[in-house]
Amino acid sequence: MIYMVIAYAFAVATLAGFLAWSLRTLRALERKP
Amino acid sequence: MNPFRVAVAVAIKDLRSEWRTRELVPALAQFIVLALLIANFGFQIDARDAPQIVPGVLWLALVFAGLVAFGRTFSAEREQASLEAMMLTPASPIAIFAGKAVAATALLILCEAVLVPALSLFFGTALDPGVVFAVLLATVGMAALGCLFAALVARVRARELLLPLLTLPLWIPFIIAGGQAVQAALGLPGNYDEAVGLLIDFDILFVVLTSLAARYVLDE
Amino acid sequence: MNRYRTWAALAVALMLGAGAAIYYAPTDYLQGVVQKIFYLHVSSAIAAYGCFAVVLVGSLVYLRNESAAADRFARSGAVVGVVFTTITLVMGSLWAKPIWGSFWTWDARLTSTLVLWIIYAGYLLVRRMADPGRQAARLAAVVGIFGFIDVPIVHFSVTWWRTQHPGPVVVNDALPPQMLATFLFTLACTLVLAAVLIGIRYRIETLLDARLRAIEPAPIVSAAPEAEPTA
Repeated sequence: MIYMVIAYAFAVATLAGFLAWSLRTLRALERKP
Repeated sequence: MNPFRVAVAVAIKDLRSEWRTRELVPALAQFIVLALLIANFGFQIDARDAPQIVPGVLWLALVFAGLVAFGRTFSAEREQASLEAMMLTPASPIAIFAGKAVAATALLILCEAVLVPALSLFFGTALDPGVVFAVLLATVGMAALGCLFAALVARVRARELLLPLLTLPLWIPFIIAGGQAVQAALGLPGNYDEAVGLLIDFDILFVVLTSLAARYVLDE
Repeated sequence: MNRYRTWAALAVALMLGAGAAIYYAPTDYLQGVVQKIFYLHVSSAIAAYGCFAVVLVGSLVYLRNESAAADRFARSGAVVGVVFTTITLVMGSLWAKPIWGSFWTWDARLTSTLVLWIIYAGYLLVRRMADPGRQAARLAAVVGIFGFIDVPIVHFSVTWWRTQHPGPVVVNDALPPQMLATFLFTLACTLVLAAVLIGIRYRIETLLDARLRAIEPAPIVSAAPEAEPTA
């Protein structure tokens, strides 16, 4: 059902996006002296 | 310093200062008039369904009035200066907080003393002592929470946004139980005694918690 | 950095595993495929509560002894918790629409979850708006503690209110063993992901704090009294 697909798409996008963004921020912070 | 005396002194100071400037009372009076007018024109109220709609109007008006009343307890510039001065004294922060909470509560009760009879007069619902009692009980708990969070956001930017955002979620139990109590008192189905019991429980819980938290919020 | 990347990879692998488990889980007879939203929706809710418990503990410890680490944990928990709460609310609404007919209803769980979101969004706002450092930490700690206490009270209040006016909605919580196993596995994976996210966030906050301290003016230290020159 379309609702389930949208629900999981949202969840995956949010969690993956948050994880990726966090790692990117961490890398930027650790790089700059 | 005797904490009880401190609290009373602070409360009298606040009330006297409000009496001299008379800024808050007209603002609260505005809410009363607004509540009456909007209720009349916004809802279809007649003698039969007034008991269903009037409690909602009552709590709406009270919540907004409460936000205004408690917001002002800590926001004015001179309030900040006098608050800092008070914190320098050996007076207990809880006593100072209690004093300000009592003063704000008194002003809100003044507003309620006009609002509740006015609603009864204009919409024909009974002026039940049960209603009055429930409203007073809810005011106590809502005042403690409102004052704590008003103190919390007093020195923070965007305080007009933050105060309702932080306070309303904590007021929800009071609105639920208080709303039920008023509805039951006006004859709608519901258990008045249970609702009042809940209000008393919430009052005790939140008065204790806010007293404990007061010193962390008032301290610099 | 590598350590965090490894943990992240582990969390992602676990979530993919959970996804497979959900895919192969049996379909609900009554609700159909939509019911599968349940697995991540409830797991997210539980992960969120766990995050806010971290906020609670961090806030209490911070108020007790002003530990910067405790405050950082609280901050991290709040951010991750709001993310998971958002997911819970969105997935729940999308599940509600085909099953109940509307995206929202004011029952106890939805109401208290919405209140939860509002409270901790407020927590994050207070942190952002207050003077960074001690003031922000103290005030947010109070918000975090009150918020955590308020949510069960709101839940209880709405439940009580609903029993005053019983409605037709009854939630049946019985789960067949296969679904239960899938759910528990998804829950475990989600909790690992939450822990990893908090850990990364904690490291970020530590680095940000270090930067803040570097910019702050040096504290004024009282000068040692100079020795009196002997005549």
